[in-house]
Amino acid sequence: MKVKHIKLFLISVSLFFGALFLASCSPSQAQASKPGALLWGENCVRCHNAPSPSAFSDSQWEVVGKHMRVRASLTADEVDKIVEFLKMAN
Amino acid sequence: MRKVLLVLLFLTAMLSAQEKPGESRFLLRGYAHSGIEVRGDETTFVGGSFNPIFLWRQSDKLLFEAELEVEYENGETVIGLEYANMSYIINDYATLRLGKFLLPFGTFASKLHPAWINRLSSKPLGFGHDGVGPARDLGVELRGGVPLGDAKMTYSVYMINGPALNDGTNPNVEPEEAGMLLYDRGEDNNNNKAIGGRVSFLPLSNSSMEIGFSGLYGKVGNVESKYEDLAALLYAVDFSYVSRVSFLSGVVDIKAQLNGVNVDDASYFNVEDSSNYSFANQSSAYYVQMSYRPVNMGSDFINSLEFVGRYSELSFPDGALWSSDQTQYAFGINYWLDWRTVVKLSYQFADTGVHEAEGEAGEASNDAVFLHWAFGF
Repeated sequence: MKVKHIKLFLISVSLFFGALFLASCSPSQAQASKPGALLWGENCVRCHNAPSPSAFSDSQWEVVGKHMRVRASLTADEVDKIVEFLKMAN
Repeated sequence: MRKVLLVLLFLTAMLSAQEKPGESRFLLRGYAHSGIEVRGDETTFVGGSFNPIFLWRQSDKLLFEAELEVEYENGETVIGLEYANMSYIINDYATLRLGKFLLPFGTFASKLHPAWINRLSSKPLGFGHDGVGPARDLGVELRGGVPLGDAKMTYSVYMINGPALNDGTNPNVEPEEAGMLLYDRGEDNNNNKAIGGRVSFLPLSNSSMEIGFSGLYGKVGNVESKYEDLAALLYAVDFSYVSRVSFLSGVVDIKAQLNGVNVDDASYFNVEDSSNYSFANQSSAYYVQMSYRPVNMGSDFINSLEFVGRYSELSFPDGALWSSDQTQYAFGINYWLDWRTVVKLSYQFADTGVHEAEGEAGEASNDAVFLHWAFGF
């Protein structure tokens, strides 16, 4: 039981400080102003070739965006800009 | 098999039928690969596998994803569930995932293993099935990406059923491999959930470099066995650097990962001489891979080429019946037909030094040539 309590305590403390940390994080001005095309070029190639905008329809890009947001741990701002760029270039 | 395919077709049709005109919530994606391999005197066509991925965007906050692996092995079609989970987007920087998911234990198993993403036809030593470290499991996960000024970090914390110890007492689970961890077992073998996580940093403003640290801890012994309190600590360190290099007129991609597994010491039954024996139960595997694609050479043909090399090592514990030290070199040339379709020609050679518990050492070469095609869809 003791080990379980210690585990629970450590998890609670980690979540508390993690939440505080997340709340205090923000992108720099330069990062925040990056356009979708740049973010598309920078983030997709970390794992695979950058996709062609014509690979999917606009509504399909919405689904792909959600999928990659989870898979690649992208932020909401990054995904929104990338999907917007892909839809515009489609 | 026919029933499974009919169910899949039915589900696909049902999901598609629920969509309003012009609005697509369902998406069928995936990848497939096949090829021919030459090993020693044997030449054979292999693969014939495909992995459909089902995506369903329930709302702006809810996503369901599932992947099947359909393989043709030994004359039979084998279907496996890679993952099936629901993601709930809590806020800009946090997503909750429930179900069976690819574990962020390093990056190879969670991001880089699909045939159209993996630059070589084979996987690094210790990163395939029965490797060092888990690839997927059932549980709950909190994950996300967070901006840190010009840099960025990603995080994941999760609780899963966790690995199980092969304690050698089940004759159906290779008793000669007592002490080895078994992954992706479905149900938990004890009441203890394993806890793990990964933190990665992308220190450069263009996100070209990523360094990740992963850990997983939990009890692994079967409940009500003498191994019940046995625990294991697993860790991984991964590195990635992808960047255009102007003087090379192309893109350089470097990937590396180290996996380690430490299981508490215990005594196991030796099936070869009916004695009990123990050993320091530590395993590790790592790979380093570099690829170069000359995308700015001016010629479409040359721009579509890619050159790749990889070194990998695998080490299972000295003194165990399954002890082994292996090394592998792999080199390849790829030709990209488009951004998600590739033909891969590669050559690899390996030293599989199999050490018996008595101390005898054997060396076996394992040279192979692969010609594979792979595509994502």
